[in-house]
Amino acid sequence: MNVNNQDDDLYNQPTEPRRKLDVTGRPVGASGMGNSGGMRAAPVAARPGPTPQATPTGPVSGQVIPPTPYPQQGQKQAGRPVSRRKLLGAALLGMAGLGAVGVAGGVALNLAENGGFASLFHSAASNAQTGHLLRRAGFGASPAEMQMYKSLGFEGAVDRLLNYQQVSDDALESRLKALNLNLNRPTDQQRWWLLRMAWTQRPLLEKMTLFWHGVLTSSFRKVGGKNFFMRMINQNQFLRAHAFDTFDNILLGITADPAMLFYLDLTKSRKNHPNENYARELMELFTLGLGHYTQQDVSEGAAALTGWHVDGLTSRYIPADHNNLTKHYLGQTGNFDYRDVVRILTNHPATPWFLARKLFTFFVYENPSTDDLKPLVDSYVESGHNMGAVMRTLLLSPQFSSQKAYRARIKSPTEFVAGAYRALELQGSGLALPTMTTLMGQALFDPPNVAGWPGDKVSALWLNSGTWMTRLNYIDLLLVRSGATGKEQAQPLDLQSVVNANRIDSPEKFVDYYASFLLDGALDSDRRSLLVDYFSTPDVSRGGGQVTLTSGKSYPLNRVRGTLYLMMASPEYQLN
Amino acid sequence: MRLSRRALIKDGLLVVSAGMMMPAIFSRGVASARAMSLEGSHFAQAASERTLIVVQMAGGNDGLNTVIPFTDPLYHQMRPTLAIPDAQVLMLDTRLGLHPSLKALQPLWEQGHLAIVEGVGYPNQSLSHFQAMDIWQTLDLSGNGSEGWLGKLVSGWVDQDGHPFKALDVGVQTAQALQSISTPVPTVASVNAYRVYPDPADRDASNARMQALMKLYSSYPKTSPYAALLDTTALNAQDGSSQLLQADATYKPAVTYPTGAFAEGLKVLAEAIVQGLGLRVGYVTLGGFDTHANQQATHAALMQALAEGLSAFYNDLVAHGKADNVVVMTWSEFGRRVEENGSLGTDHGTAAPMFVLGKPINKGIYGEPPSLSSLDSNGNLKYTVDFRSVYATVLDRWLGASSKDVLGGSYSSQNFLPQP
Repeated sequence: MNVNNQDDDLYNQPTEPRRKLDVTGRPVGASGMGNSGGMRAAPVAARPGPTPQATPTGPVSGQVIPPTPYPQQGQKQAGRPVSRRKLLGAALLGMAGLGAVGVAGGVALNLAENGGFASLFHSAASNAQTGHLLRRAGFGASPAEMQMYKSLGFEGAVDRLLNYQQVSDDALESRLKALNLNLNRPTDQQRWWLLRMAWTQRPLLEKMTLFWHGVLTSSFRKVGGKNFFMRMINQNQFLRAHAFDTFDNILLGITADPAMLFYLDLTKSRKNHPNENYARELMELFTLGLGHYTQQDVSEGAAALTGWHVDGLTSRYIPADHNNLTKHYLGQTGNFDYRDVVRILTNHPATPWFLARKLFTFFVYENPSTDDLKPLVDSYVESGHNMGAVMRTLLLSPQFSSQKAYRARIKSPTEFVAGAYRALELQGSGLALPTMTTLMGQALFDPPNVAGWPGDKVSALWLNSGTWMTRLNYIDLLLVRSGATGKEQAQPLDLQSVVNANRIDSPEKFVDYYASFLLDGALDSDRRSLLVDYFSTPDVSRGGGQVTLTSGKSYPLNRVRGTLYLMMASPEYQLN
Repeated sequence: MRLSRRALIKDGLLVVSAGMMMPAIFSRGVASARAMSLEGSHFAQAASERTLIVVQMAGGNDGLNTVIPFTDPLYHQMRPTLAIPDAQVLMLDTRLGLHPSLKALQPLWEQGHLAIVEGVGYPNQSLSHFQAMDIWQTLDLSGNGSEGWLGKLVSGWVDQDGHPFKALDVGVQTAQALQSISTPVPTVASVNAYRVYPDPADRDASNARMQALMKLYSSYPKTSPYAALLDTTALNAQDGSSQLLQADATYKPAVTYPTGAFAEGLKVLAEAIVQGLGLRVGYVTLGGFDTHANQQATHAALMQALAEGLSAFYNDLVAHGKADNVVVMTWSEFGRRVEENGSLGTDHGTAAPMFVLGKPINKGIYGEPPSLSSLDSNGNLKYTVDFRSVYATVLDRWLGASSKDVLGGSYSSQNFLPQP
């Protein structure tokens, strides 16, 4: 198999000690790298968190590293020659961000022809398509978003979601800033992120960040103690900045990430006593999966990965602390370091299948077949491991828009909590949101173990009697009260304003209005009748509250909001 | 296929309607219970009063520093910094001792209510947390199982009294050991949160609203996604929450439980037992055992949490007169490497001891001590007791269930429980 190829641009390693490395991990000022138009030193972006160092010594959490274009000089990757045309295409993919329309020779999918959603709901085909897309590639939709994305058409919507850099999220950032959160505290961190999910104009970016958080896991409970909880935010920003980058860059960065370095003990790994934890989980959980490596690979990998150490909120690679023995790793031999480990792993044939399976399960449906995964695997390989390309393939696949995928998963706690907040366009402080997702089984920044959340793989695991009741109580919180704990200060939803703004003049219109964006407008007549009946049953609300429809007729408040409660507590609303 | 408790159990009898297909395991379990009750109604009767509490130590507990072979020179040689000094070890006999932070369990040993099974593992042990946990919980040695051994057990019980809490899992997610196709197990994170809040504007405590909701669930098309799960979950919740809340209102712990989620969880289980909710299997998890680095302090804290929680639980049951009917069993997905690593911690290992506690047990050290000199090629202990024999013992000798049916094979029994 391939020996470490010195001409391989991404990972070239001169052997002088203690060199400064640029943000891609290559030596600053090294010659013969063919830098024209290729790699360039990254601009240092201002992000909440640490002050970036003037001379970075490696990928630093919080720095923006632009997606790295595929190597320009026609080098071999894993021994296979790559055509210039493919290189150029892939480079455009990388440099333009994502999904530059036309690069991949975009296949226009006519979903109706493919027997997609149009076959399900003729009159509401667009709602189901759009609703499904926004639930999977984001956190669901408010009525305004439903309209906006619908008007773009499916492919246009996918483009907008992938090309997130073209959409401003300044409004979100200002609103979050105004909340004056303390990002050193886990509950504020969770609130910060849940509100991002609820308010962002870049839902797919946020969803992808959540995906990575559940794969490349760390937890605030083990990142160095309460003085370093901020490491989790920095890791989060790194994942967000690189969500659609090459898998190589993602792994390089996460290896150097301070939270990860602590969480999986790499920072404690010494060249004479390498620590196995990161080496094992990197293979078992992040790249290859069980069955593709041996205990020896774990030990050898651990030796190769030595040299990185946390340094406050940043990290440093110290070449003198790197174990310089020859390693035998996954069938290859050499004095490998972390860059080689990443290179070998991202090029390993098992990796794209492993990654594709996780992505497909998370975004489409569980237990995908080989045929389901192959297009994603091909995209991974052809694009030089570009995750944006893989996601484009996934979202435009027939499987994504198939009946099999529709409502095929139980919503995760974050999807449920952020989704409801988003759909109802709530503008509160989000104070109660973290407790809700935690009680539902998903505490952000605190996965149960390094494998992430079991519900990401088998979504049925999110639902049991306790978590089901918590979902109901969360809806209660949004619609009704100030919460059992008395802590939430958000206004209960003002239904009278919604009725006025949307000229709702009958119980049927009320049900249809909410069903259109909460339930894709897909409510069969029996269920619709049940809800309308509940709404119109004569009653008197304790306290006398009423909602007056634009017809002039008034209904008791408990019946009106009870109807909305029923819709959001319904079986269908639990489904993604 | 939908299995609703109401449809299946009518007047205490299992009703199988024509054309209804049961999953194989369910029918296997039912046959087992019937067989048991035919063979020895006395035993079946007694068994229905008994409870098993399973405590999972998640992450891979370092067994060597838990039950310590302190007279073995290799123990000290291979763990120059991590070995517990002799003077600190709590002696069980002339060869073995407990980690000093397990002090709260010492009275249990002295009173004869603690048993230890040494060297527990299985062939070709996996060093992966997730594969190993799969194996311990589903008994599928390929690590690809889905139905838990306790889930099989629980789903096989004919519940004559309609107790929703014959099994109870404390936490936010149902443990894999309890997973089954037919019987979702109530999973309680906190008793207070285990209910549906009514709308204060409803004059009927939201009864009409709940009825309408249950109608939405029961009329949800059977062929729709997740129909069975959604329906049984809603039913489960409805059945259980009022019972649990009522129990909670009148229960008073007889001891002060230590702080922390683990002890809180044990308290919920104690409450279920004391208040007669019909609990047969309880499950609770203590996490954090994956001590790759700086193990000393972390492991000590975990040992303390384990011992103090279990001791409080035991004493609470004693004070309420329920200790005769409860057995606790601990497990972890693997032990840890014999030799310490360079980060003052230990890497993934293999065989480790299990604790079994309670008034009904026979005190002692069971199994075979694994050899520290004859290790496997990874430097790990070779197991001496198959974990399934420990399961078989609690199934056959304590719960009155056929271990052969539940485990899908015959395993020898250990003597930490008396022959029935």
